[in-house]
Amino acid sequence: MATTPEPSTILNIEGLHVSYPVYETAPVRALRGIDLQVREGENIGLVGESGSGKTTLARAIMQLISRPGRVDSGRIEFAGRDLSKLSEEELRAIRGDDIAMVIPNPRTELNPLVTVGKQIANVARYHLSLPRKEADAMAMAMLDAVQIPDPKRRFKAYPHELSGGMAQRVVMAIALICSPRFIISDDATSGLDVTVQTQVLELLQDLVQQQGASMLFITRDIGITAHYCHQVAIIYAGEIVEIADTASFFDNPQHPYSVMLLSAFSHNPKLRGMWSKPEELIENAEAGGGCLFAGRCVRASDTCLKEHPKMRSIRPGHGVRCHHPVER
Amino acid sequence: MSVVLSVQNLIKHFPIAGSRSVVQAVNNVSFSVSRGETLALVGESGSGKTTVGRCILGLIDPTGGEITFQGNRIDKRNNVRSRHLRGKIQLVFQEPAESLDPRIRIGVTIGEPLRSLGSAREDRDKQVREMARRVGLEEEALYQYPAELSAGQQQRVGIARAIITDPELIVLDEPTSALDPTARSEVIDLLITLQKELDTAYLFISHDLSTVRYLSHRVAVMYLGMIVEQGSSQDIFSRPRHPYSIGLLSSVLLPNPRLERHSEVSLQGEIPSPIDLPNGCFLASRCPFVEAQCSERMPDADDIGSGHLVHCFKHRDVIDDEKGTLDYYERFQAEAEKLLSSGQQ
Amino acid sequence: MRVLRYIGKRMLFIGPQLFGITLVSFFLVKLIPGDPAVMMLGPLATESTLAELRTEMGFDRTLPEQFFIYIKNLVLHGDLGTSWQTTRPVTEDLFLRMPATLELITLGLLLGLLIGVPLGVGAAYLKRGIVAKFSDYYGLLAGALPDFWLGLVLIFLFYTILGWVPAPLGRLDFFIIAPPTVTGALLIDSLLDGNWSAFTSAAGHLLLPVITLGLISGGPILKMTQSTMDRMLESDYSRYEEMCGLPKSVIVRHALRNSLPSVVTIVSVLYGFLIGGAVLVEIVFSWGGAGQYAVQGVLNADINPVLGFVFFAAVLSLIIYLIVDLIYFAIDPRVRG
Repeated sequence: MATTPEPSTILNIEGLHVSYPVYETAPVRALRGIDLQVREGENIGLVGESGSGKTTLARAIMQLISRPGRVDSGRIEFAGRDLSKLSEEELRAIRGDDIAMVIPNPRTELNPLVTVGKQIANVARYHLSLPRKEADAMAMAMLDAVQIPDPKRRFKAYPHELSGGMAQRVVMAIALICSPRFIISDDATSGLDVTVQTQVLELLQDLVQQQGASMLFITRDIGITAHYCHQVAIIYAGEIVEIADTASFFDNPQHPYSVMLLSAFSHNPKLRGMWSKPEELIENAEAGGGCLFAGRCVRASDTCLKEHPKMRSIRPGHGVRCHHPVER
Repeated sequence: MSVVLSVQNLIKHFPIAGSRSVVQAVNNVSFSVSRGETLALVGESGSGKTTVGRCILGLIDPTGGEITFQGNRIDKRNNVRSRHLRGKIQLVFQEPAESLDPRIRIGVTIGEPLRSLGSAREDRDKQVREMARRVGLEEEALYQYPAELSAGQQQRVGIARAIITDPELIVLDEPTSALDPTARSEVIDLLITLQKELDTAYLFISHDLSTVRYLSHRVAVMYLGMIVEQGSSQDIFSRPRHPYSIGLLSSVLLPNPRLERHSEVSLQGEIPSPIDLPNGCFLASRCPFVEAQCSERMPDADDIGSGHLVHCFKHRDVIDDEKGTLDYYERFQAEAEKLLSSGQQ
Repeated sequence: MRVLRYIGKRMLFIGPQLFGITLVSFFLVKLIPGDPAVMMLGPLATESTLAELRTEMGFDRTLPEQFFIYIKNLVLHGDLGTSWQTTRPVTEDLFLRMPATLELITLGLLLGLLIGVPLGVGAAYLKRGIVAKFSDYYGLLAGALPDFWLGLVLIFLFYTILGWVPAPLGRLDFFIIAPPTVTGALLIDSLLDGNWSAFTSAAGHLLLPVITLGLISGGPILKMTQSTMDRMLESDYSRYEEMCGLPKSVIVRHALRNSLPSVVTIVSVLYGFLIGGAVLVEIVFSWGGAGQYAVQGVLNADINPVLGFVFFAAVLSLIIYLIVDLIYFAIDPRVRG
């Protein structure tokens, strides 16, 4: 009986802690013990609100946590290599080539004095050691692949001449031109018009599948993950509080925070009120050493305030970090 | 239902420096808002919804058409700053942090609109406290500065400042776009409660469709300066008739992987520029239902009943094809209800 | 084509701008108290000779009338009046002296760029270490030291003690015959003339004053380059390029390109300033430049040289700003857009 081999793990994060020192007070702990595995060809959605640590995670994977932030402990393994042990040269070779990032608000992040075609070509030129003409041709092909109309003319355009949607496609082209094995999309569709967002998401999904790459899809919009991700992970205060296969997650969300996020879509204020505390009653439970969400949680008990919950597997492919997960 | 605001055939074109072309920002827009009602203007970039908002506040002069507020004409000379209209129309901004003066305490900010109406200090203080209570702000917040509040609280301040003059109309320009989802729903709930208490009319300008569905009584969908479809919130979201409305609504991704929206309409390409718009329907270049007459004339409003108006020659064909997408929002809400009410002890 | 239209539009403005500048400076100068006739003829002159002189020079007319005559002469005849000190037409004097100043400050600024830009880039890129420390001290010194003092020190060191350079007595050794004037810049003119000895002499005399101006102007150029490069290297797009794994040399090169507008700006400001501001260096080196000329005019209440200098300086500044704007056009696509 032949068995299909398990897809191998392309990214393995274990116990990642990142903090930012603050003058005269305790440092801000941006990431607290993140454990995450992404297999080849898989697309994991990471959902969190602002300040949850999602962008810090993206930068940590790329080894771009800049001073004064620091990685306190943990491993990040990409295709079996421990990224923290690599030299700056080796990391430079990986960034943009094996691991690429798609960023939001591209017009401020693209160099205003260089044409977009050149910016795409540069990535190919330096990573693949191509002569200029070949790199330009690749860039042109990439512009076509991301469905930018009239690519010949747009090659010579400058970032400020493009609309938000087109600039986003350029940034995708830059990320995908070297056929990376792992793509991080950091809130890449925020700020786009909704019809443009759909096109961009469809395109991204197609291209990623074509290349057989894996993706970490970071977003504030949980709705997107329902339609474009294999797995959903919820991050709160630097911790992953729930992670599951998409179907399992949306059928049966376990963590009270996950349910609270979903309840924001409901038009029934009573239902929403069942899952979120009014602003006045929110306490800061961080000092207690217990669950970080306890201060906002409608189900918090004494145990929650004192004991920090560990990630448990509720059923195959569904883990939750909670003393009182929601049972249905 | 008494009509508070009436907009008739509003046109606004912006000339472009050094050229003969104009930006056709608003093209023949008509609608009305009544007491206690919320009308949402929905659209993407270039739809003209923000320009309409500015015309209604009288911040810019219309190129054509008329805006009437409680029987008064609105234009650059008779606008929100004019004596007889002061305090009657108010505005809530998109970025709460930017609309609050960072050096002025919250209490003072909320009371500012009353100063321009000339009320005395004690009256003002009383009103400010009352407003803070109404929007759910603690009294101590009145002594704080904007930077000390969360984004949700800052937006409550913006709302308190808007309602303190008991306005008849509040224009809300993307009031929740900058907020996280949980703060968003709290602010929307607050707006609904206030509307019931004060019987104010809301003009809600937004691109966030699920919020619009929840908050609005009526919706007008805008595309390139035109209202392509308007009607009750229920009608528009459950039975959209215009290809653009359908394309727009089917782009919203609701958190339920089983609810796939299989729509015929997929709007490819970018939104064209509002300069030198073609004759005929503005959607013709992207519309899957397009036929010859679409490129020749702009369709007039077709009244489908109970105030549901569509500007499309082919809306009957559209509705036949789109049977699978009807009641998408209702189905989602039903599923969500089941999910959320279970499991709570 | 668009560029030509832009230049054309700017040219249209030059006329009114120059008119305004001339107007203001004319009235300012004329309003200085003191009787120019007395200055010219000395305290022993009789009343009648003074009156005669006043009529001849037009001092007895009203100010607006005098201004009108001045403008008329300028526009119709290109006549800026005569200097009673040199007894030559001002235009002649300036066409002799301006090129001297321009040659000096152009070379001085070039040297300043050669010093300031590489140091600025280095200091921004290698944030700590010797280069950054050195740049800090250098910038401080260059700002604090007076240029004439530096010139004197250099003269003392390299001429008086070491004897490596010719005496600071003007632009050429007295025994060298000047080449025929084509541009007014001795280096260029002597090359055009094939006159090698004139070339070496001019170069020798230029050495110290150029080094003086170069060292001094290098300070602000370095500071501007460094702070702009700092900002560019911290910018969103530099970080993005790092994220894409582009080599450091490419990132620095792009950042430098983005810093160019600021460097161009400061050079243009320095240039405009040095047209008059190099006067102290000119005096120290007996250069016979335009600044010296204007200062003499002020000290002797000789109005025409002063006004003439202002006019020339204004024309040069306007041309410089036009060139700077064209450079922006060439560098920054957003300006073109």
